[in-house]
Amino acid sequence: MNIKRIAVLVSTGRHPTSGVPRHCRNDSLALTIGIDLSHSDAAKLDVLHAGNANNPALMDYLALGADQISVIPTEPDTDIVDSLAERLGDTDLILTGSRAENDQDSGLLPYLLAEKLNIPIVANVLEVRQIGDKLEVLQFFPKGKRRRVAVNLPAVIAIHPLAAVELRFAYARQLQGKIHSLSTPVDRNQATSIMQWQIQQATRKPNKLKAQENLTGHERLLSAITSENKGGTVVNDGNSVEKAQVILSYLREHQLITF
Amino acid sequence: MTTRINPNRPSKIAAAGLKRIVLTAPTNLQVPHQQKPVRTKKNLNASYLVIAHSERGTLCDHALQTIAAAAILADAETNVLALILGELTEDLANVGADQVMVMPELDFEHFQPELELANISALIESIQPLRIFIPDNHTGDGDLGRRLIAHQKTKTAVTQVVEMDVGHVATYQAGGTSIAQTALPEITLLVANTVDTHLPFTALAQRSNQAISNQLTSNSYQDLGMQTIAATEIALEEADFIVSAGNGVQNVATLESLAHTLEASIGASRVAVDDGKFSRDKQIGASGKTVSASAYLAIGISGAVQHLQGIKDCRHVIAINTDASAPMVKRADLSVIGDAEEIMSALITLIAEAKSANLKVAA
Ligand SMILES: Cc1cc2nc3c(=O)[nH]c(=O)nc-3n(C[C@H](O)[C@H](O)[C@H](O)COP(=O)(O)OP(=O)(O)OC[C@H]3O[C@@H](n4cnc5c(N)ncnc54)[C@H](O)[C@@H]3O)c2cc1C
Repeated sequence: MNIKRIAVLVSTGRHPTSGVPRHCRNDSLALTIGIDLSHSDAAKLDVLHAGNANNPALMDYLALGADQISVIPTEPDTDIVDSLAERLGDTDLILTGSRAENDQDSGLLPYLLAEKLNIPIVANVLEVRQIGDKLEVLQFFPKGKRRRVAVNLPAVIAIHPLAAVELRFAYARQLQGKIHSLSTPVDRNQATSIMQWQIQQATRKPNKLKAQENLTGHERLLSAITSENKGGTVVNDGNSVEKAQVILSYLREHQLITF
Repeated sequence: MTTRINPNRPSKIAAAGLKRIVLTAPTNLQVPHQQKPVRTKKNLNASYLVIAHSERGTLCDHALQTIAAAAILADAETNVLALILGELTEDLANVGADQVMVMPELDFEHFQPELELANISALIESIQPLRIFIPDNHTGDGDLGRRLIAHQKTKTAVTQVVEMDVGHVATYQAGGTSIAQTALPEITLLVANTVDTHLPFTALAQRSNQAISNQLTSNSYQDLGMQTIAATEIALEEADFIVSAGNGVQNVATLESLAHTLEASIGASRVAVDDGKFSRDKQIGASGKTVSASAYLAIGISGAVQHLQGIKDCRHVIAINTDASAPMVKRADLSVIGDAEEIMSALITLIAEAKSANLKVAA
């Protein structure tokens, strides 16, 4: 199967100190990967944004090489997942960033979309290439681990911020590109979320969850001067070979080495 | 934080009408390390479910914190059930798991999200947990949690929870400039270090191994295998095994050869870097790098606070030092007192023997 249609979902961010609207770096990586794939596969590329068509941040995506950005207008109560899913029915590959910078940085959108469309999703992807009728991706994990996964198409792929992609902005492309508003979906689905949020400026540090303890003064004093911490084993005896053996056994016991 | 002293604590009125506090005789003077009470012994129907992958048979601190969170939030009528995906060799009693269910086949090394989801959904269906808690990490659980949230559409859910108590959860929004609060949801994906794992109680941690029941007929994903970037190429911050040298290391060549046999990255204290033995990018500590290795081998490092700051997230710290009273020995999980050069050489020989024995067994 050839990839015929690629969609890239872009959101908008803000500069953390000045608050100036700007592109979201993760989404820009996804867009660049999408553009490269669409060239090699001669596939049609759709760039979609759910939000406000007048947001100046969208210009950045034009400069990055999107010919046209389709904006799905949203009301505060629209379900973005539903509106997007309606447009993505016949898309072979949906690319997004792994986590948006703005609004709800929950990282849930790619998963909700994949569930809605009933297609697979792979997150934290560093590289993408098509092999036969599948997509082979490289997934990022901490501690120097990487995993290769082959995934059936169509699929949602969320790109990791460390993807080795060079962003190339060109002002000429920003002038050429177009942003056009799509019509509001007719049977607009209300957002199903029943959660009530209270939003404040983040001025304080979050509080840690602690177990309630009803201690007498004496117990509190005791716990202040004695610590529960084991302090570890100390090995004083033996020659250096025996001591080295202790270290080796410790590493083995905790499966830190495989030999 | 200080706790307010109870103004109504036991007192008697002395002769002059003065109120005198009576010191309650501490009952546990003789046995200061009393056994902690068990949180709840009843066999309960209602439960909080905690889901986490294990790594090498143990849970990371983040997963332990998530179990502790569930135990703190659970009332006396609610069970804390820890579902561990992958082998488990650790006891979870002191983080408050009443029941521990292990599914060894679903370990993190294999990418099988559909199989995991099918089995976990079946479990959720059968036990109907009141709430579900999952560590929001990058080693499988965050991914699984989001799949679960997308799958269990009717359940309320919040990811990236940075603050939580019985009444609410909070998460950052708009790139960390604002904080949003809502009621405690049914599924919580918890950020690391938001919970104090020190508990005044223990739990029974009754264990059962659960073979996976749901097999899949088709698979959308095919795992082509995990690979690890060579220790020499990886950034120190990302390294999983670090051999680190301090002023007590005379011979850099021995240390490098030890790091090589252990396939570990090399770090150093500031003094060792200042001496020109290592490049500046190897420095670990307050003015160097902060590392989070699973194993940190501190060789000839005294353990000044500025250095310890850089290794606070390391899981297993092993010290080699001539001085048993060095602060590093207090921090370390295992300390070996002796000369760095001798022990390093002995270790290199032992590892070489172990490796060649392994090869013979495999051949
Ligand atoms: C503002 C500031 C920032 C700093 N930032 C950092 C930082 O980022 N990172 C950092 O590391 N330090 C930092 N320091 C320096 C820190 O305070 C210590 O001076 C430094 O960590 C000590 O390094 P060391 O443990 O290698 O050396 P020492 O303190 O000299 O300790 C050497 C240790 O090796 C042991 N030893 C000696 N001979 C042997 C032997 N043959 N075999 C085995 N053991 C032996 C000794 O018992 C001793 O414990 C900072 C200091 C300041 C003031």
